[in-house]
Amino acid sequence: MLCIQTSNLTKKYGSSLAVDGIDLEIKSGQVFGFLGPNGAGKSTVIKLLTTLMPPTKGKLSVLGIDAAKSPLEIRRKIGVVLQQPSYEMTLSVENSLDKYGMMWDVDKKIRKQRTEELLTSFGLQDIRKKKNDDLSIGQRRRVQVAREFMHDMELLFLDEPTVGLDPSARRDLLDFLKKQVQKTGLTIFYTTHVLSEAEYLCDNVAIINKGKILAVDSPNELKNRFGREKTIKINLSNTSLSLNELLSDIPDCKIELEPETTITINSSNSEIVLMNILKILNQNNITINDLSAIPTNLEEIFLKVVSDSNEPDN
Amino acid sequence: MNPIIRLVYRNLTISINPGFIIWQILFPLIYIFVAGYAYTSLIENVPFGTKDLSYPAFLASGMIGFNIMNSTLISGIIIWNDRRHGMFEQIMSGPYTRSDYILSNIVTIGIIGLVSAGLITAVGYPVFFESVDFSIVTIPLLIFASVVGAILFGSIASIISTRLRSSEGFNVIINTVFLFFAFASTAFYPAQGAPQPLATAFYINPLSYLVDIVRAGIFGQITDFVIMEMIFLIVLASILFVIATKLLTKLDF
Ligand SMILES: Nc1ncnc2c1ncn2[C@@H]1O[C@H](COP(=O)(O)OP(=O)(O)OP(=O)(O)O)[C@@H](O)[C@H]1O
Ligand SMILES: [Mg+2]
Repeated sequence: MLCIQTSNLTKKYGSSLAVDGIDLEIKSGQVFGFLGPNGAGKSTVIKLLTTLMPPTKGKLSVLGIDAAKSPLEIRRKIGVVLQQPSYEMTLSVENSLDKYGMMWDVDKKIRKQRTEELLTSFGLQDIRKKKNDDLSIGQRRRVQVAREFMHDMELLFLDEPTVGLDPSARRDLLDFLKKQVQKTGLTIFYTTHVLSEAEYLCDNVAIINKGKILAVDSPNELKNRFGREKTIKINLSNTSLSLNELLSDIPDCKIELEPETTITINSSNSEIVLMNILKILNQNNITINDLSAIPTNLEEIFLKVVSDSNEPDN
Repeated sequence: MNPIIRLVYRNLTISINPGFIIWQILFPLIYIFVAGYAYTSLIENVPFGTKDLSYPAFLASGMIGFNIMNSTLISGIIIWNDRRHGMFEQIMSGPYTRSDYILSNIVTIGIIGLVSAGLITAVGYPVFFESVDFSIVTIPLLIFASVVGAILFGSIASIISTRLRSSEGFNVIINTVFLFFAFASTAFYPAQGAPQPLATAFYINPLSYLVDIVRAGIFGQITDFVIMEMIFLIVLASILFVIATKLLTKLDF
């Protein structure tokens, strides 16, 4: 089933275009990653999909419901953790969870049980009596994410939920999310800047820049598609010979002399380029200090796709 | 449970704490008993309609009106905190509409206003019982004052909290406005005998009207003037409520 469907989704703030005609189709039961640099339009898309604000143009339906017609019906079935913090200063951690469940009309008994489970899952047992006002930023974020699981939902929007979390809390959250998707068939719409996180968690990702979608696919497919260019770095001891002259016939390589002498190969045929370079270096008795291949990960692809889209002729 | 009731329940849970109770109940009571009797040496009797009220009785009844106004500060603070701490957006992205949110605020201040007016009436009773003239319109008038006053001042507090951005600004402005209402009114002193400009200021101030209505209910002095005041309050409250709702509806994310 299609969980989210948009066509020509557009949002303008005044005259500035934040979301520029997005077409998306997202299937249920997966974690969908939404990646993009600052100001790309990720949070704006979330605010549109959660019906917090209406689009300037275009159509969207969420869980099969038309957002223009029945926004409240959509909101009853989704959960949202927005990018900015949100909390009630005066409530304790456990009370925040319980009252949030109350606001979603969750039965008192179920609330009690879920509060206990979530306090444990999110490592909040030690601070359960503390007031939100007295929490650290990361603790507050954990409470904010945890309380969203007080109510049932079919679709959950998470806008950079791991910002401010320490590495183990981060990993715990990702594992918790994976489990929820498996257990309940929940669909998650997840934005992040941490590409390793998206790679670990997401079944599919979209890369967005300047309000436009640049690519949508599974992380593996994206790697196949964009990741054929490999980067290899060769680090040399100082040499009196002019590398520029020696390597002048070899394409796709860049020479830097400062701070250290390095040659960077960036090519879809990097292995062959490497062999040619090694041959020349060998002939001229130039010693190699270090040689490293940078593995293709989502981060490299992200940087490439985004920087390509920033080129003037795009 | 109805969404508005759920929001009201939340509003009450987050705003009722020891500090609030001291401000809302204890402070007025102390004021009635300390200032009421301390100033008796200065202000002996206050003529009110056909009656002469003792100053403590005058003050205690004024405190009810003052308290109704004060309880509406709560709605301004709730809206302000909800915006500042992201709860407004969170609620709006949940199973609620903007009108649920607005109505729940009105109901919240209505409840707080009624309860604190009731408490002050009960505790202030020994102070003004001599002049009391309860009738069948007493309770309706007190309820009218609580509800219309809650809507009127609640709308003012809500307008201030939706228009401002910095929290210093919010506190300064809301306290200044409410302090002006409190002291340039007939809540604490009678208009008679006050210098002319001040007496005029008293009657461009809705709190004076509110207090007059409360007193009319308690001391049984319903005159044509009081009825005009009631009409004025209803009109003003409706206008401000419409403005407050418009502003809240237009709030951007
Ligand atoms: N309320 C607003 N008024 C005017 N412009 C806005 C508003 N909110 C966002 N924008 C603009 O819309 C664009 C998209 O913003 P958005 O918050 O969606 O980006 P984002 O991808 O979530 O960025 P980040 O990673 O920094 O959270 C930006 O250029 C931003 O300046
Ligand atoms: Mg964002």
